[in-house]
Amino acid sequence: MGMQTTTETMPPSQRPRRGGLRRWLRDLRAGSDRLAVGGSLSGLLLRRLRDGVIVLLLVVTVIFFLAHVVGNPALVFAPVDATDEHIAELHRQFGLDRPVAERYWEYLVGLAQLDFGESTWQQRPAIDAVKEALPSTIYLTVVGLGAAAVLGVVPGIVAGARARKPFDKTSNLLSVAALSVPNFWLGLLLILVLGVQLGWLPTSGRFETASIVMPALTLGIVHGGRIFQLVRSATFEEMSKPYVTVARSKGLTEWNILRRHVVRNTGVTTATIVGWEYVRMWGGAVFAIEYVFAWPGVGLLTIDAAHRQDFFVLQAAVIIAGAFVIFSNLLIDMGYQFIDRRIAAS
Amino acid sequence: MSGMPLLEVEDLHVTFRTASGPVHAVDGVSFTMKPGSSLGVVGESGSGKSVTARALLRLFAITDDVQISGAVHFDGQDLLRIDERRLRDVRGGQIGMIFQDPLTSLNPLMAVGEQIAESLRLHRGMSRSEAAAEAVELLARVGIADPEQRATELPSSFSGGMRQRVMISLAIACRPRMLIADEPTTALDVTVQAEILLLLDELRRSEGMALMLITHDFGVVAATCDDVQVMYAGKLVEKASMAHLFDRANHPYTEGLLRLVPRFEDAHTGRLHPIGGQPPITGGGGSSCAFAPRCSYAVDRCRSEVPPEVAVGPQHLSACWLATDRAKDTTEAGQPWRRAQ
Repeated sequence: MGMQTTTETMPPSQRPRRGGLRRWLRDLRAGSDRLAVGGSLSGLLLRRLRDGVIVLLLVVTVIFFLAHVVGNPALVFAPVDATDEHIAELHRQFGLDRPVAERYWEYLVGLAQLDFGESTWQQRPAIDAVKEALPSTIYLTVVGLGAAAVLGVVPGIVAGARARKPFDKTSNLLSVAALSVPNFWLGLLLILVLGVQLGWLPTSGRFETASIVMPALTLGIVHGGRIFQLVRSATFEEMSKPYVTVARSKGLTEWNILRRHVVRNTGVTTATIVGWEYVRMWGGAVFAIEYVFAWPGVGLLTIDAAHRQDFFVLQAAVIIAGAFVIFSNLLIDMGYQFIDRRIAAS
Repeated sequence: MSGMPLLEVEDLHVTFRTASGPVHAVDGVSFTMKPGSSLGVVGESGSGKSVTARALLRLFAITDDVQISGAVHFDGQDLLRIDERRLRDVRGGQIGMIFQDPLTSLNPLMAVGEQIAESLRLHRGMSRSEAAAEAVELLARVGIADPEQRATELPSSFSGGMRQRVMISLAIACRPRMLIADEPTTALDVTVQAEILLLLDELRRSEGMALMLITHDFGVVAATCDDVQVMYAGKLVEKASMAHLFDRANHPYTEGLLRLVPRFEDAHTGRLHPIGGQPPITGGGGSSCAFAPRCSYAVDRCRSEVPPEVAVGPQHLSACWLATDRAKDTTEAGQPWRRAQ
């Protein structure tokens, strides 16, 4: 926000008008949420919240119109032998006989009151279905992220510190393989080997403690591959800085250089990388993985809702997942800014 | 001062294997240093002076594919052949090192006192609190005001000159017998340069350390060193005592470098005299004097045979086919850099 800081030194007459569409558009441009030193954290928070709401609104709008133009839940819900009158009755019941614009407006008014609409399939508030599925997805993503961090961070540090040595080359190859493979294919492969052939682990659902292992492992491998790549390059870059040579000239072992100097400097970056992967998980992989492993989370719910043209559940699931992504992003950004400033201030 | 040298480098070769072929950065360098002595190593960028210094402690990045041969005798052991563990005892404990850029030489996220204490605990077996107290002493020793407070601060709150002082205190923390300073003043303001050089000189005398000062600037050497050696393309081309060299520079390359030192008196009339051409990228392996293409005195022999080091005076060696003739000519005409004064 370089512009904002310069306005402080300008006479009032020359200051650009605060507020208004122009300023808002300017703020939306890439990089505008990078704060100059002295910008306030609460200002950042407010701007990001505002942007988040706008993004969610856009998402809801797109999904609402897509779904209502393409689908017809009454046809899916009605029994095969339903008469035309029966279907017309369902239409009225679901409110599908009224104009789309009217229904959209009603939906928005409902949303503003945290009313997400009724599930046509389950005949209960859509938000209840999402609330039921949410803990499973949070559980899966957190365990999956843990696996990804274990698989990515430690090997990434070691590989970066021992660049171009056999360990680096081998692990690098593996990580590229891990992030190139489609996540659902990897899931199927694990089911085939660990579940069907070896019979070690349950292959689907969430009926026992061990059910988490395969979906979390799949997430861990896919996201761990990317975490590995980023941590490795951050570590490698850090290792080539002059202060590392200085540490070496002091007689420190490579292990102590890594532990005491390098990791301290790559720590913030690593935390950010892991945080971003968590966001990415919500943005994609977890949906496919839940479907492959029939994991009863928001992903599976979303896909089922789409199949059944259960619009309000679909919309509620997307809004909640979207809100989760935005919230996580915000948390990472705030954390990063906070640490950055503390470093700059001290 | 005993007659035994502290450091004896014999026929040091350093070769980097790169994607575009081997680079002979150091090509058969030999020299000795006595305890407490001071030696300046002068040369252009790429002459191999920094690589020589790093080779003494085998301080290369793990990604450098480097081959070192020859011998580096220090205190009765060959630093090129001892194992990593014993080498680490020498690094920081016996030989301290200061680097060019004080802005990047310190860990940005570690309090400076802690960075000094780290060495003390490692080599002198001090406890955490002893090392912290000693670090404060050391900061005071290199002229940092309010050392107790400053020791707890991160490098970002120090200026360039102050950081170089911190770096020096770090290098001398374990009372090494030798200090290698690789372009310690290059990144600093002129006034700060002088302070740092004074500090180094004063520390050398009071601690009895040998000082190896690597620089491209003859002015720096003149202020600090008793002996000087000039490097070009990975080879030593001339070595002498500082005083002697200024009077009797023999090698045409040294002559060229001396003519490059700007003189205040020349401000209105004189011009600088750059040495034409560029230094070769890969030194060594050739069958000619590496400087011949840029040398205005070069004769046929210079282009077909590598000149040996020839004694041209007491403790004065020059690797030039014309060395003996040039040494005889002590007239004004034979000392063009003096004429430039």
